[in-house]
Amino acid sequence: MTAAPLVAVATPVVRRWRPRPGAVVGVLMLVVVVGLTAIVPLLPGRDPMAQDLRAALLPPFTDPAHPLGTDALGRDLLARIALASAVTLGMTLLIVVMNAVIGTTIGVLAGWAGGKLDAVVTWVSNVTLAMPVVLLLIAVCAVLRPSAGLTIVVLGCTWWVGYARVTRTVAASLRRQDFVVSPLTQGADTVWVLVRHIVPNVWPHTLIIAATDIATIVLITSSLEYLGLGVQPPVPSWGSMIFDGQRHLAGDPWLALLPGLVMFLAVAGAQFVSQQFTAETRGGLLRTGGMR
Amino acid sequence: MTTVLQVDDLRVETVGDAPRTLVDGVSLRVDRGESLGVVGESGSGKSLTVLAALGLLPAGTRVAGGRIAVDDHVLVDVEAGRWASDRELRALRGRTAAMVFQDPMSSLDPLRAVGAQVAAAVRVHDRGIGRRAARERAVELLTSVGVRDAAERAGARPHQWSGGMRQRAMIAMAIAHDPLLLIADEPTTALDVTVQAQVMDLLAEVRERTGSALVLITHDLGLVAENSDRLAVMHHGRVVETGETRAVLAAPAEAYTQRLMAAVPAEQERTAPAVRVGEPDALAADEIVVEYRVAGRREPVRAVDGVTLRIAAGETVAVVGESGCGKSSLAKAVLGIQPATSGRVALGGTPVRAALAERSALQRERAQIVFQDPWSALDPKLTVHEIVAEPLRIRRAYDTATVARLLDDVGLDESFARRLPAQLSGGQRQRVGIARALALRPRLLVLDEPVSALDVSIQAQVLELLDALQREHGLGYLFISHDLGVVRSIADRVVVMQHGRVVEEAPTAQIFADPQHPFTRQLLDAVPRLTGPRRGAGR
Repeated sequence: MTAAPLVAVATPVVRRWRPRPGAVVGVLMLVVVVGLTAIVPLLPGRDPMAQDLRAALLPPFTDPAHPLGTDALGRDLLARIALASAVTLGMTLLIVVMNAVIGTTIGVLAGWAGGKLDAVVTWVSNVTLAMPVVLLLIAVCAVLRPSAGLTIVVLGCTWWVGYARVTRTVAASLRRQDFVVSPLTQGADTVWVLVRHIVPNVWPHTLIIAATDIATIVLITSSLEYLGLGVQPPVPSWGSMIFDGQRHLAGDPWLALLPGLVMFLAVAGAQFVSQQFTAETRGGLLRTGGMR
Repeated sequence: MTTVLQVDDLRVETVGDAPRTLVDGVSLRVDRGESLGVVGESGSGKSLTVLAALGLLPAGTRVAGGRIAVDDHVLVDVEAGRWASDRELRALRGRTAAMVFQDPMSSLDPLRAVGAQVAAAVRVHDRGIGRRAARERAVELLTSVGVRDAAERAGARPHQWSGGMRQRAMIAMAIAHDPLLLIADEPTTALDVTVQAQVMDLLAEVRERTGSALVLITHDLGLVAENSDRLAVMHHGRVVETGETRAVLAAPAEAYTQRLMAAVPAEQERTAPAVRVGEPDALAADEIVVEYRVAGRREPVRAVDGVTLRIAAGETVAVVGESGCGKSSLAKAVLGIQPATSGRVALGGTPVRAALAERSALQRERAQIVFQDPWSALDPKLTVHEIVAEPLRIRRAYDTATVARLLDDVGLDESFARRLPAQLSGGQRQRVGIARALALRPRLLVLDEPVSALDVSIQAQVLELLDALQREHGLGYLFISHDLGVVRSIADRVVVMQHGRVVEEAPTAQIFADPQHPFTRQLLDAVPRLTGPRRGAGR
């Protein structure tokens, strides 16, 4: 060895992480929804299915046994909202994960391989985009019986185009980077490069899309539930609760408003939080301005 | 003589709670018709100083102190609380002071015809001129900067122009309104050396014609020596030395200037060759032909046209030539990244297949590459340790001690092992790249412009390291470069390529002392030298 080893000088690398005010609010909103989902089932005597027709349509804050009141069949609204939240959020997460995995896999392979595979993927993406998902689901439900599983499978396989488009572009640009060529010259195969270099660098982009997708998927599944496609009674969901409550909108508006409010908290919260994600990755672009 | 640019005690800081000072107390003056060279390494603050003068500081930085005046018009005076408005600055940019940027490709809009972009630069400050008149003026300007058949070519988009032509277009835009001050920020860094000479000649000629002053920002002392009247050397945000270019370079007073000059590759050949006799040749390439298929063309493009090359163990052979001469294609064919269409390659005495995919792992490890761009060469997600360990893991030969030894070999101590590429300087990244290439004990190292992205003092360190490693391991080096100064100090033999063929091949000393081929002579003539103006600094 000739030159004396250079000694690493401490360079400030930890960028100070500043939460945006919106993100803080978003996290609080999500904490309320998730807390409701997690804690209520643990409380004693909260059965979302137990009917009590003598205590039907109790308004909120009147009966300590039913803090948020009861529905037309005398079922505890708090317990039903908690279960509905668990059902909807669970479905949403499953659908988002399925789409993220499918879309990223397709995108990475298309971006890496290019050529014919890329052309086929682009064509399939366009067809998928053009497909009216709701109509498709109605058609499938007409043939099979509507169920939560069916909704998850149909939505989970038709909402991946965004992931595929973005990851395809990222993978295609990574393919030309020298650090991807280097392992090939050292005896590595394609799988090695894909797993070690392409996917880890593509992954953050998938996360960003997933974060913004959560809110969208909540809204879509809820609209489908509203139409009666998806979870079947007596299991509640936000969409079906709003549909049921709609009949009592004049006299007992809280039946529709309360699940709506929780849904709003979830959707807006997810949206606020996802903006933090996008802001994190947007920094660093050169902007030129005036003197100060 | 009037002053065109006057900067007094300028301070530029980052914006934030704990501001860092990037430019500290810099004073500069440029008089009418004068040429000032601002020299320094990356991060010395040379670009920021000049960008501040046009109100073009990047977001996150600000002028924190001092005074800037352009053509006796005060733009900033922090003490007096004077700040030019955006409107004032816009009126100034392009009319009084104009800028020529480093990379003409990213400075031009890829979707618009070059002529239209020059015409737009004309119309910015001359709304009254009609579209057709602006177009005619654009053609006139392009012709004046040496674009032949400007009327026909104006309709083409930037990718259809060569790098040198694009830089001419940028200069045409800059001189559209006969500015008093031309600012050129590394105007030739992205260009071949012969094109660099043409562009610098053009700048000199433009100044002679329009009488404008020039601020030339560069890391290349040779360029400044030939093209400036006065010189300011910047280091860590300060001007450390300033004066008449010739006087400063003849007798630099400051230690830093002396260091910079010492780091410029000396105009002398390598004294002690490291060639090992009796070992098999690191590379034997015979009659290599590389052809590319280009969309829309029936005939394939022949990038390399029958090149035969031998590199002994411990020998450095430099392949020089301009962009597109086939030197990179030749290197890729040797590595198998771009398989040769025909010809034979043998590495360390063993014949290998043309395509990388067809080569066995053992064959692949015989030739390794150090890439040109230290930024794209390393996976941003992996630590230094993991990057160097990767080839060992591929071959299932990983152990921590080997990685530590490889890092030690390239002069990086263990404190670097856990760092990410983003936490390294360009020179350190290049060292990591070299360590990775050495991991599999190759016979041949392909060095694709390994120091062209580095500052001159870092260049010298990396070249020294390469020399030491070659002596230790008996490596053959295929050194691709356009920088003849670097080539002279490291290569044993030089191969000159033009249009895919070898036009001259000789020992380094002979090439520099007695070049035979006219193209070799042209290349050598174009190299800027420290020893003074080639053509009178454009006065």
